Amino acid sequence: MKVSDVFSYAFGAIRLRKLRAGLTTLGVVIGIAAIVALLSISQGLQDSITEQLQTGFATNTLIVSTGGGFGMGPGAMTATESDFNLLVNYTQIIDEIEDVVMSVAVIQKPGCHIRSGERELKLTVVGVDFAKYANIYSSTFEAESGEIPLDPENETVVVGKRVSDPWKNGTLFCDVDDGVEIVWTTGTLFDAKNETYTGHVAAVLKEIGGFGIGPSDSSVYIPILQAQSFFGTDECDTIIVQLENDDEATIESVSEAIDGAFSGQVSVTSSTAMLDIMSSVFSTVELFLAGIAAISLLVAGIGIMNIMIVSLMERTREIGILKALGMKSRTVLSIFLSEAVIVGLMGAAIGIASGWGLAHVVARVFSGGGGFMPAGDHAAAAGGMTITPVLTPTVFLGAFAFGLIVSVVFALYPAWRASKLKPVEALRYE
Amino acid sequence: MTTPVVETTNLKKTYMLGKVPVNALQGVNLKVEKGDFLAILGPSGSGKSTLLNMIGALDKPTEGKVFIEGVDVSTLNDNELADLRREIGFVFQFFNLIPRLTAKGNVELTMAIPGLGKSERRKRAEEVLETVGLKERVNHKPAELSGGERQRVAIARALANNAKFLLMDEPTGNIDSKTASGIIELVKGLNKEKDVTIIIVTHDQHIASQAKRTVQMLDGLIIKEEVN
Repeated sequence: MKVSDVFSYAFGAIRLRKLRAGLTTLGVVIGIAAIVALLSISQGLQDSITEQLQTGFATNTLIVSTGGGFGMGPGAMTATESDFNLLVNYTQIIDEIEDVVMSVAVIQKPGCHIRSGERELKLTVVGVDFAKYANIYSSTFEAESGEIPLDPENETVVVGKRVSDPWKNGTLFCDVDDGVEIVWTTGTLFDAKNETYTGHVAAVLKEIGGFGIGPSDSSVYIPILQAQSFFGTDECDTIIVQLENDDEATIESVSEAIDGAFSGQVSVTSSTAMLDIMSSVFSTVELFLAGIAAISLLVAGIGIMNIMIVSLMERTREIGILKALGMKSRTVLSIFLSEAVIVGLMGAAIGIASGWGLAHVVARVFSGGGGFMPAGDHAAAAGGMTITPVLTPTVFLGAFAFGLIVSVVFALYPAWRASKLKPVEALRYE
Repeated sequence: MTTPVVETTNLKKTYMLGKVPVNALQGVNLKVEKGDFLAILGPSGSGKSTLLNMIGALDKPTEGKVFIEGVDVSTLNDNELADLRREIGFVFQFFNLIPRLTAKGNVELTMAIPGLGKSERRKRAEEVLETVGLKERVNHKPAELSGGERQRVAIARALANNAKFLLMDEPTGNIDSKTASGIIELVKGLNKEKDVTIIIVTHDQHIASQAKRTVQMLDGLIIKEEVN
């Protein structure tokens, strides 16, 4: 029998039982749609984060922090277990190391309150040397309005885009030249002491995006000297080191040199290493999500098998007729497998289309729902990120192949059983 | 002398009905020459359907041999048996048409199996359906056809592949006597005018009397043979 005849015969059999075939296909559709939606969203997310990381984060930098944590700009985790403290003036030691262009100390205090008029936000205050910081993060620590003072006077404040415009509705929290008050609560819960820093906004940064390492949309920046006296400390949380270049050898030698200079009490993380970590975390999450979606496809496969076994019973006589007419076992097998192929192809095609649609809906909800949380919420919220779902050819073809393979694999057994029916017995079957 | 179309030698078949062995055939010797019209008569349980299944290469004998145009069926594997069946025109008591296909579709299917092209098989299907007198009903599905018409479709299907012989199992068993005589006339005509070899199993004496030759079966044996 010709392949085209086998397919048209199989197609006729499917058309006869539209509802049943439809429901069987639906199983595949849901599985494939889930996989495509999850993978295309996570790919989109990964792309947009990677893009932000690469624009917002020079690859020729190292981050020095105490203990094992890696400083991820404002809001970072810093594990300080030992007695060792990273001091602001350690930058002088680091600056001595070969291949280091400059280094900048970062003090960050999450949970500070900033007041402007009647309004108040809770966020992270970061103390840095504006000139050096702007030099390292030239593409992100950049003013949209106002000007970042390179030799700041007292009481200068630079704010992120989401601090100036937290609600994204035109109502500004503060703008250039506005006066703001930063309140830092120190001491214990029962013996709390409020320190107040009064300043004026010199610049609003341009929008950076959600997951920038380095400058953030939702931080307030004050000059390092003011930060030291305001927070009453000489310690810093991280020191950002700018290197001559981003060669691996340079990164390694400087990392070792810094490590040596502080006798192993600091941890040095390169930005490229961080990118690697991020992407490996993403791969894991992606794999996990795809695995869950794959389970639904497996269930669909069992559905296919179930339906085919039922349909085999119903069609025993038909198979008997076909065999009496001289149809070979392998043709019977291929008719049943073709039915599965048709279900798999339709399921995969519809599944990819609906998964793609679903991804866009979910992406829109995500993108719209992000943004800075008003006062009272933690400032680490993802600032206005736009996720564009990405359907890579691998995912596209993979989804197709997967839908097809699941359908065919689960149809193998029923199809094999159909092909093994003995004509006499099949004809006698009522 | 030419090779007989069908020849059986000492054909025996035992099958299990539950746990009871049934000796359906106990040594049947039969020879059918080209152009013959043989009726196999016998009460139910006499083994005539079993014999038909053997001749039609649908089942294998327990003992003895079946030769179709000189080829020993027992030496054939599954694929070769399938090939052989394509050259045998089965007509069943219950028609055994594919319900979702039209009359033409059913006839075409039997030609699609050996891989005949679309236009050829369409032409041939119309031709054989015309032969059996169903020119006007080619696009009807079995459910829309009467019993007699369905049996004509089945005969057309059996003819489509230029079968070596037609093998009919109670072809009139399921239709009224008036329609049945029409079918018999058709079969007779095919035998007479187109020299189609016909083996027909029936317990209807009237049909048997139309055949060139009849054999009587009882308890798995041929007990009487006569030429009309």
